[in-house]
Amino acid sequence: MHIDDIIHVATDAGKIILENGGETYRVEQTITMICKSYGIPHTESFVTPTGIMVSITNSQNKTISLVRRINNRTVNLRKVEMINDLSRKIMSRPISTDDMRKEIEFINNIPPYSQITTTFFAAGSSGFFTLLFGGNYKDFFVAFIIGALINYLGGYLDKLDVNGFLKNMLGGALAATMAIIAASLGLVGNMDTIIIGSIMILVPGISITNAIRDTIAGDLVSGVSRSVEALFVAIAIAAGTSIAFKIWVLLFGGGLI
Amino acid sequence: MILNSFYAFLSALGFGVLFNIRGKNLIIASLGGGLSWFTYLLSARLQPSLVFSLFLASLVGSIYSEVMARIYKTPVTIFIICAIIPLVPGGGMYYATLEAVKGNFDASLSKGVETLFSAGAIAIGIVFISSISTIFKKIKK
Repeated sequence: MHIDDIIHVATDAGKIILENGGETYRVEQTITMICKSYGIPHTESFVTPTGIMVSITNSQNKTISLVRRINNRTVNLRKVEMINDLSRKIMSRPISTDDMRKEIEFINNIPPYSQITTTFFAAGSSGFFTLLFGGNYKDFFVAFIIGALINYLGGYLDKLDVNGFLKNMLGGALAATMAIIAASLGLVGNMDTIIIGSIMILVPGISITNAIRDTIAGDLVSGVSRSVEALFVAIAIAAGTSIAFKIWVLLFGGGLI
Repeated sequence: MILNSFYAFLSALGFGVLFNIRGKNLIIASLGGGLSWFTYLLSARLQPSLVFSLFLASLVGSIYSEVMARIYKTPVTIFIICAIIPLVPGGGMYYATLEAVKGNFDASLSKGVETLFSAGAIAIGIVFISSISTIFKKIKK
């Protein structure tokens, strides 16, 4: 089996985990596990949220290395789970690198939930968060609509390759504007709970969790960069809502509450 | 309280779909969200500290996630995310911003610090449990 094939297969598997919301140590572990199951005695990998570096040495002391840059990161935990299963499976029952490549390709091409499904569930999520934070059923429906709009806007901005900061800022601004409009029309009881419920779907849950888990696993570089990522998302949401508030007050005057 | 936990379950379910969790894992993960919110409400009823309640809820949510990850041989992140998401202090963040916009910087700061502490409490809960679970792994070997 060729050493080049092995490093490519292993790194591709790691790349999918990293791009879809897996932790740093899981990427390193997967790469090491796959190389080991192909009989590579020494594997070293260094993974950060923006890149993977792998170096392997085979039993004839030949060393090769590979660097992969990670540009896009989304969240698709199903892919993480499937690659994880795959690497466990080949530990006990090795398959050829060609078959492995096909499996990885198959996992990578699994489509995510459709836009309609995610929009519906994002809407439901904001609605129920609003109820959770003390809203009434009228607030639920308003938050439901806002959630759907935020998700739809997010999907549209993703197609235009808009960066995360602007996307979250616009999402926050949309939530605040819609909630203020609904409140001034007298449709809702509590504007605050609606805004909180709607911005919950923008909250960077995966960055926060992974920041914590990476830091305690000893991957300090990844931990810090993911924390900064989460912090910037929070700042973007806060900036978006406050800009919307300010503009509303400037245009129409009066207090907010 | 039960109804409220059910809302948390449904919110976590929506989140799970956004993160592309599928099949039975989706339901199991969302149950974690309901469970941690229930713990939070229960604890908030029994004692006054909000931050401590969040810590307890994060502990329970993390234990549940680690156990389920062992049982179903799945990455623990899948469960932790849904268990933690209802606890994330989105409200604190919002009020801190709102007060800042209104010009009440004292109120904004105190809300901001409270939010930071809440986030810290949740983080410590996760750290604590996952550190303990690595000890368990070592013992098992």
